[in-house]
Amino acid sequence: MADKTFIVKIKRQQRPDEAVRWEEFELRWRPHMNVIICLRDIAERPFTREGKESSAVSYEANCLEEVCGACAMVINGKPRQACTALVDDLEKPIRLEPLTKFPLIRDLQVDRSKMFDDLKRTKCWIPIDGTYDIGPGPRMAPEKQEEAYPLSRCITCGNCLEICPKVNADDQFVGAAIVSQVRLFNMHPTGAMHSAARLDALMGPGGIEDCDNAQNCVKICPKGIPLTESLASVNGQVLRHAIKSFFTAPKTIGSAAPEG
Amino acid sequence: MAVAASNSRTSYILDKLQSLSGIVPIGAFLAEHIWSNSYALVSPAKYNDVSSELQQVPWRIFVETAVLWLPLLFHSLYGFYIWWKGKSNITAHPWMSNWMYTLQRWTGLIAFVFIAWHLYTQRYEGHGVTSYADVQQFLTNPWNLTFYIIGLLAASFHLGNGVWNFACKWGIAVSVRSQRAFGLLGAAVGVSFALAGIAIVIGLHYGAFPLGGYVTGGGQ
Ligand code: HEM
Ligand code: SF4
Ligand code: FES
Repeated sequence: MADKTFIVKIKRQQRPDEAVRWEEFELRWRPHMNVIICLRDIAERPFTREGKESSAVSYEANCLEEVCGACAMVINGKPRQACTALVDDLEKPIRLEPLTKFPLIRDLQVDRSKMFDDLKRTKCWIPIDGTYDIGPGPRMAPEKQEEAYPLSRCITCGNCLEICPKVNADDQFVGAAIVSQVRLFNMHPTGAMHSAARLDALMGPGGIEDCDNAQNCVKICPKGIPLTESLASVNGQVLRHAIKSFFTAPKTIGSAAPEG
Repeated sequence: MAVAASNSRTSYILDKLQSLSGIVPIGAFLAEHIWSNSYALVSPAKYNDVSSELQQVPWRIFVETAVLWLPLLFHSLYGFYIWWKGKSNITAHPWMSNWMYTLQRWTGLIAFVFIAWHLYTQRYEGHGVTSYADVQQFLTNPWNLTFYIIGLLAASFHLGNGVWNFACKWGIAVSVRSQRAFGLLGAAVGVSFALAGIAIVIGLHYGAFPLGGYVTGGGQ
């Protein structure tokens, strides 16, 4: 019996400045295949459908269970994770393209450092290191933990940036993921001590005001993060912070009160 | 970051002002404008009273400039800039909210063209003093009437969707449920403004006074 096969079309570029070429590969179908398996099959036998020798396709992947974020790409026109894109669920031929909102490295591999730089710029961590032991932090109520948990599931894949009309070469909007992380860290009792710095970092070119509410992000996020709530929440926090810091002057030296 | 810090507040404030200006004063003016023009459905005399009242506002040119022309010009020009900065992907991802994003821009453009023409014909050509008879005369032309209806639909949609946008972007409606509620409120605003506006221009076109009943029939 002849093997069942299917076609995968891949947008390829050796280097960012090289002309785009589309290559088609015919792959042998097996049960439970995902897009990463397709790319591995091609690496094993890099011949196009016409039998022309090609090369292994460049891409990133790590966890293979949708927790590292590395394998984001545009699959049949939608940005998503390759490791959870099952061949049986996809329309054939399967079209693979790199994310377009990040600098291309090669083939399906892009440089997502913008997101990591923005996470650093917006201080999306909880500072606990110091020169002496500052003791245990405040406790978090279980309800608060439950509110924070969904936000903590972000895998920095970048799909929400890819789908956003306001993330492009003319508008360096940080994107929903970063805004949602600011919300997460501002929610945390210790993290809240740096909320003013985070909110300041979200004001200005590329900041929260660049969100124009197309609300595409929430529909594409593979982790189901309530991004539109995060955007609205942080919008309010930045606004209150801006008004407060414009009109008021410090009154007490106490523990830094949570902003917003 | 440090480099951006100096101009960061400016861009934040400009964006916020663009958003705010859509509601007050522009949205509020649209409400007032539809309200006072609704007198066209009452009687020509009442309509002329109300318009001449408005045409005799003290400091008229200053009031209008501060409350209307400058905010409208700023909202529109900055709105075009915001439009240009975004790259719509509606063909690839035709979701409802993405349509709203795209339509917000196109209805803004239509409103802009309409307002420019509306000002030219009613204000410049009418020298700032128009009466019921002038407007009715103007609206007997079916092309003028059609463009009015298009302009009213665009402005009403733009304001209705703007109410929803505003609630989300000022942190008023944070939860998904409240955003949906504001979506409904925006739809209600959009539909009522559109209906009222279209009723006015059609009333003028036909010279009909459906709301004049209590005036004429009320024992006067
Ligand atoms: C005349 C040309 C106009 C243009 C080009 C324009 C453009 C825009 C754009 C692009 C937005 C979206 C801003 C954003 O999402 O951040 C917007 C928002 C808005 N516009 Fe306009 N607009 C115009 C006129 C008007 C008029 C006549 C009204 C009054 C009915 C109006 C009311 C609003 C409102 C309420 C918003 C929502 C503000 C927000 O997003 O928070 N606009 N406009
Ligand atoms: S918010 Fe969702 S779509 Fe955006 S980077 Fe995080 S996991 Fe990916
Ligand atoms: S490989 Fe980690 S998310 Fe797909």
